[in-house]
Amino acid sequence: METEQRAVSRLIAQAGRMLLAHGAESTLVGNIMNRIGKAAGMDEVEVSLSASSLVVTTVAGGHCITTARRCADRGINMRVVTQVQRTCILMEKGVLDHSGAQEKLDSISPERYNRWLVVVMIGLSCASFSRLAGGDWLVFGVTFIASAAGMVVRQEMGFRHFNPMLTFGTTAFVTTLISSQAMICHLGNLPFVATASSVLMLVPGFPLINAAADMLKGYTNMGVARFVMASLLTLATSLGIVGAMMLMNVRGWVG
Amino acid sequence: MSFAMGLLNDMAFAAVPAVGFALVFNVPRNALGYCALGGALGHGSRFLFMASGIPIEWATLFAASLVGMIGVYWSRRFLAHPKVFTVAAVIPMVPGVYAFKAMIALVEINHMGYTQELAGAIAENFLKAMFIIVGLALGLAMPGLLIYRRRPVI
Repeated sequence: METEQRAVSRLIAQAGRMLLAHGAESTLVGNIMNRIGKAAGMDEVEVSLSASSLVVTTVAGGHCITTARRCADRGINMRVVTQVQRTCILMEKGVLDHSGAQEKLDSISPERYNRWLVVVMIGLSCASFSRLAGGDWLVFGVTFIASAAGMVVRQEMGFRHFNPMLTFGTTAFVTTLISSQAMICHLGNLPFVATASSVLMLVPGFPLINAAADMLKGYTNMGVARFVMASLLTLATSLGIVGAMMLMNVRGWVG
Repeated sequence: MSFAMGLLNDMAFAAVPAVGFALVFNVPRNALGYCALGGALGHGSRFLFMASGIPIEWATLFAASLVGMIGVYWSRRFLAHPKVFTVAAVIPMVPGVYAFKAMIALVEINHMGYTQELAGAIAENFLKAMFIIVGLALGLAMPGLLIYRRRPVI
């Protein structure tokens, strides 16, 4: 019984770690860990989350096991989150036992979409933002080129495991250098829309929404930590934008 | 441009970034279409709310609630947490420009000294961004707050 409880505790900790590292909100992480434990026959599962680690205690037959895991941020990946959740549902339906679930979790790989597809789609996304802000097709084109080039920079730095803040700052700098050409050469009807829209790919939208949702649902410490992280990324991006604007001697955002 | 054309334009150009960001978040392939539809419905409904005179924060809350409700329906068909679709769908409504304007004004105060305009720009843009973000998060959480109070959606 004790060896089984140990194995289940490890399984729960691993599931929680995968969810937290890939950008699930805290309520979901807590719920799934709890449900996996209950499905595997634990009497009680208590979870404590913090920004970069988690602690889980399982109780079975009056015997407690507590284990802690550190979880580094691996980037948002909804595929992993979905597969961990499906494993949990299969356990609840009795299709998988804890060793089957362990095998399933081990086989999940954080596979990503083709990078060039992402580059083109992010370019089109920021270009669409410029259309929504009232830009014409020339502004659309400049925004597309600037943000697609920025996305390549972001991916290259991501592959080389640079600090995210450095990545965001550099990407914003390169993107603004390119998109500010619209203002220098007076391209399109609203040239500043190109500079404003092309950096919108760097808004940490998912972390910000997660931060607000965590605070709303009672995980205040997680919410504050995520909010601070998202704000720092926004600050790094702004420094990149300001640096490029000073270098090119254009001012489109403030003043 | 007529009103209907404006709405159509708004929905079409909101669907593209919803899919673009869904790719970055690695949303599973067969859910991408739902992200596009959610993005178009969310941004389009916000366009309608704002056209009828509702301020942007409230319009965002209502639009995000709509996306949240639809997301619950999809999540049961797809066996995935609603956030898998809904966050990508509301990305076109995230107040990126306000957030950057506030931060850039902060950097400029440090660079060029305090002025009333820059301080005002920080306060206004920061508050606008925060209220819209809270509107988005609250709206997406609405089904959980109203209907699924103590049980998981799936």
